[in-house]
Amino acid sequence: MARVSEPPEEPGADGADERPRSRRVEEPFAPPGVRWTAVSPRLVTVRRLGVLLGLAPFLVPITVLTIVLRTGWPLLALLPLLLVLAWLLWLVPRQVRAIGYAEREDDLLVRKGLMFRQVVVVPYGRMQYVDVNAGPVDRRFAISSVQLHTASPGTDASIPGLPPGEAARLRDRLASRGEARLAGL
Amino acid sequence: MTATGGPEVPAAGSADAPADEAMDVSPDAPHTPAAPDAPAAPGAPEADGQWHRMHPVTPVVKGWKIIAVLLAIYVQQTGDNLFAGRDLPGGTELLVSAGILVAGVVVAAVYSALAWRMTRYQVGPDAVHLHSGVLNRTQRQAQLDRLQAVDVVQPLLARLLGLTELKLEVAGGAGSDVKLAYLPEAEAQRLRNTLLARAAGVRYAEGEDAPEAPETSVLEVPVDRLVGSLLLSGTTVALVVAVVVVVVVGVVLDTPGVLLGFAPALLGFVGATWSRFNRGFSFRVATSADGVRLRHGLLESRAQTVPPGRVQAVRLSQPLLWRPVDWWRVEVNVAGYATGAEQGGSDQNVLLPVGPRRDAITVLSLVLPDLGTPDDPWEVVAAGLEGATGDEDPRGFVGAPRRSRWLDLVGWRRNGFRVTDRALLCRRGRLWRQLDVVPHERTQSLAIRQGPLQRRLDVAAVLAHSTPGPVSPGVHHLDAGVAGRLLDEQAERARSARAAAPPERWMQQRSEP
Repeated sequence: MARVSEPPEEPGADGADERPRSRRVEEPFAPPGVRWTAVSPRLVTVRRLGVLLGLAPFLVPITVLTIVLRTGWPLLALLPLLLVLAWLLWLVPRQVRAIGYAEREDDLLVRKGLMFRQVVVVPYGRMQYVDVNAGPVDRRFAISSVQLHTASPGTDASIPGLPPGEAARLRDRLASRGEARLAGL
Repeated sequence: MTATGGPEVPAAGSADAPADEAMDVSPDAPHTPAAPDAPAAPGAPEADGQWHRMHPVTPVVKGWKIIAVLLAIYVQQTGDNLFAGRDLPGGTELLVSAGILVAGVVVAAVYSALAWRMTRYQVGPDAVHLHSGVLNRTQRQAQLDRLQAVDVVQPLLARLLGLTELKLEVAGGAGSDVKLAYLPEAEAQRLRNTLLARAAGVRYAEGEDAPEAPETSVLEVPVDRLVGSLLLSGTTVALVVAVVVVVVVGVVLDTPGVLLGFAPALLGFVGATWSRFNRGFSFRVATSADGVRLRHGLLESRAQTVPPGRVQAVRLSQPLLWRPVDWWRVEVNVAGYATGAEQGGSDQNVLLPVGPRRDAITVLSLVLPDLGTPDDPWEVVAAGLEGATGDEDPRGFVGAPRRSRWLDLVGWRRNGFRVTDRALLCRRGRLWRQLDVVPHERTQSLAIRQGPLQRRLDVAAVLAHSTPGPVSPGVHHLDAGVAGRLLDEQAERARSARAAAPPERWMQQRSEP
């Protein structure tokens, strides 16, 4: 099976995230011979927007208060918030780079997480259905997410931030492979 | 036909009949399946491909609940009035409420009768169809080769009237079952046998009944042991402690009101314990060609049949209080069986409510006849049940390294797994001992996980995902390298085990040698 295409816009993202600092620790999360495909860097923008939206209910009132009351006190509360914001904005690209997937002969690997890392192995034959989702913001930035479902609710195999073409390709490919390797429960 | 008996092939045999050697009971039985709706469709008279209705008494059995609810509301209302210091309802008031009650009953009766009229079922050679609903019509079809389990349920009232509910479980989670309620007892039994025979891929000649697969009784749970297990539970201990505290407080502070406030909790406890007793009463396990048969229940009796290969995962567990008597509880994941809050206390997932180790392992061997180990399987299971050796287990379990004790102070020695040719055994829990067994061909997907602390200690967890149920197998705090290898090898083992798995229609022989 040929690794057909990788997302076209990921020259900087791929490879860069594969820099193991300590070989031994990294190993179980980077099985040998597996080539990970990174997701679109546009996911960084979408997620950063999400962070901003999430913090806005706290940031906006404080800023307004500062301006209206002409006092510096609310800024004391603003400072930690801004620190959190800066940390999240710094974290998001690293998290996005940590997301990856790999199509193997018989199963799909999905990797995610920096602090809490996980790799999920989903055999194609176990797939019950595939979801392709795209919210309004996702569509604006031309990304969508693909999620695989097995008969187990524990299977956490969603790949966010795929370009629509790649998402459709992956969906069809997974469906056809699932059919070829169909197994009961 | 390949090992993965294609579920998308509705009539097993339409395409690959020559290869399929169905177990024909009579010598001149048809080798090709009967066409749907053909009168020749064999088995029970109810399974003739025609549309049937439920037993006409059904609305009464189903409707009494509505009447009970109405009565309860009425009684509560009057009770409230009484407490509010008002007088007992006078003549007119009584008449009005009685009128409302009667109207409610009439509406309920008419609705139930309509619902009964609209409910029809049809048993075809490959599927069961159920049409129901008055306003919202539902047509449900259950594919027989997807059948996960068949339950015969008899609530008290239905039992008194000789009626039975037949529940066909297909793998769609809670609420995906096809309920045929209520059928006369004999009819339900015949139908169950026929359905199981058809699901198994056994075909019978025209007009011949599918006999009930002969079953061998394996074990039963005596009442005294069941009562003992309920007494030796955490809730009982908590209750005793609570009662002592309440009584002491009540006496010291001289406020008997405390006792009154405690009454609801006491009632709740009694209710929960009663329902566990009710469900576990006269629990019997038997085995037959159709799979494992479970019968239990005091007021509502239930007979479950779980065909071979339908059990996705097994858990043997032992609460701390059961350890002195070495009792174990066995639970299973079966696709389609509801879990937790959804199941409404039906306990479908329990394979053995309480039993000595011998019984627990016997039950395990029923659903997983071959553990696939060259060693003595009892030894292997025993090591999983009680072994607490860390990573130096002489009995073949691969444990968590000593450095993981910082993450799991009490139980780290118990964390471990063992792989046999057929299954993955995961053990954990020092106080609440658990052993999870997953056949390789039943793993849905696998995951490896590592948090920041685990990363510092170079350990990781491997999880095997199973269908919804009480069992969620996984091994925690394994050495990261070991975990990585386990993940890789387990994925491979699951793949080859699936390729060799018996067909969905379990009585059909494999076409391959």
